[in-house]
Amino acid sequence: MSDAPVVSTAKVSEWLKENGFDHEFLGLDHQGVPILKVQREYLLPFATALYAYGFNYLMCQCGYDAGPGDDLVSMYHLIKLSDNADRPEEVRVKVFLPRHDPRVPSVYWIWRTADWQERESYDMYGIIYEGHPNLKRILMPEDWVGYPMRKDYITPDFYELQDAY
Amino acid sequence: MVLKAENVGLDFSIDEQTQRLINPIEHPQITQDLSNNVVLTTLNDLYNWARMSSLWPLLYGTSCCFIEFAAMIGSRFDFDRFGLLPRSTPRQADLIITAGTVTMKMAPALVRLYEQMAEPKYVIAMGACTITGGMFSTDSYTTVRGVDKLIPVDVYIPGCPPRPEAIMDAIIKLRKKIGAEGFAQRAQIQRTHRYHTVRHEMKVVDPILTGKYLEAPSRSTPPKELMAAGIPLPALEAIKKEQMVEVEG
Repeated sequence: MSDAPVVSTAKVSEWLKENGFDHEFLGLDHQGVPILKVQREYLLPFATALYAYGFNYLMCQCGYDAGPGDDLVSMYHLIKLSDNADRPEEVRVKVFLPRHDPRVPSVYWIWRTADWQERESYDMYGIIYEGHPNLKRILMPEDWVGYPMRKDYITPDFYELQDAY
Repeated sequence: MVLKAENVGLDFSIDEQTQRLINPIEHPQITQDLSNNVVLTTLNDLYNWARMSSLWPLLYGTSCCFIEFAAMIGSRFDFDRFGLLPRSTPRQADLIITAGTVTMKMAPALVRLYEQMAEPKYVIAMGACTITGGMFSTDSYTTVRGVDKLIPVDVYIPGCPPRPEAIMDAIIKLRKKIGAEGFAQRAQIQRTHRYHTVRHEMKVVDPILTGKYLEAPSRSTPPKELMAAGIPLPALEAIKKEQMVEVEG
């Protein structure tokens, strides 16, 4: 264990708290990027505030499954994109969603890059992005049943084409 | 009695006789001309030779195996010397090297490409994925377990991915196979039903992917609930600004 003090806050987190955007600070990752946890009801105003703060680029949106029977998580990695940027500020926002009702507002109307990435999270985890313009499966066949990247997903006993030729 | 050449009564001259007795220094003219200018072969061999010397592969690559296949096209391995010219359309190709994992979503496209190729056509299954599913063969929900479940394969190349030399070896083996084919057997090995189909009684529905992705009305304006929420979203602000400009203009 290192002797470095446990970081309890970050600049962007302070700013958000000052302006009344309630969230939980989850610490820094190994690259020093602050991770913020937000309630899904406040995601849109929260994300708009981050956009106003200068996070103009959604670098990555993805989902993950916290465990069997546990929450599904929708993650947004934001960065300040500018000319000649030198180590620009980054932030990661996580929204924890109950497995039985994984609905979250879409950030498509803030960052257009969320379009396909949210479709992929929907395809793989079944997270429903409300307000997304075209929430359809992107990788799996259109008629696929189930969300294959969930931890409790069971691969269906698919038909092996044994005597094709 | 001495046999003198002068005394022997022959029909041809002394010069001609000496030519017959000693081995001439020059090559006999007639046979050399023959072997240089006349080739004896069968139509079968000629046909096979022409076919195996101009195997045009389809440019088909679905993952990492194609990197090795692309190296074959380059000057270091240079597969043009086998007469292989990569073709981008199945209509002109007579060989398909399935380089890379084939997923179930890709499978119908692969079968269609194979159907569209001109007869006689050949398939080389390249790499572990197209032979058995490779590392995806145990619990993947999308990988086709071997491309031979979809189309008939002539040569398998093991490896993950195989080196370009292995592809070269496979092509030489395929050339041997083509060289051994005969007209007489062709009717016997003519395959009538070359790919797997399943009878089903499912209802055909309209495709959800229509290609009108960018023109969708849901993409141009945000949903009403979002407009009513009053959050100053960047997209809404941009629309407002446009309307302002229109009013002023």
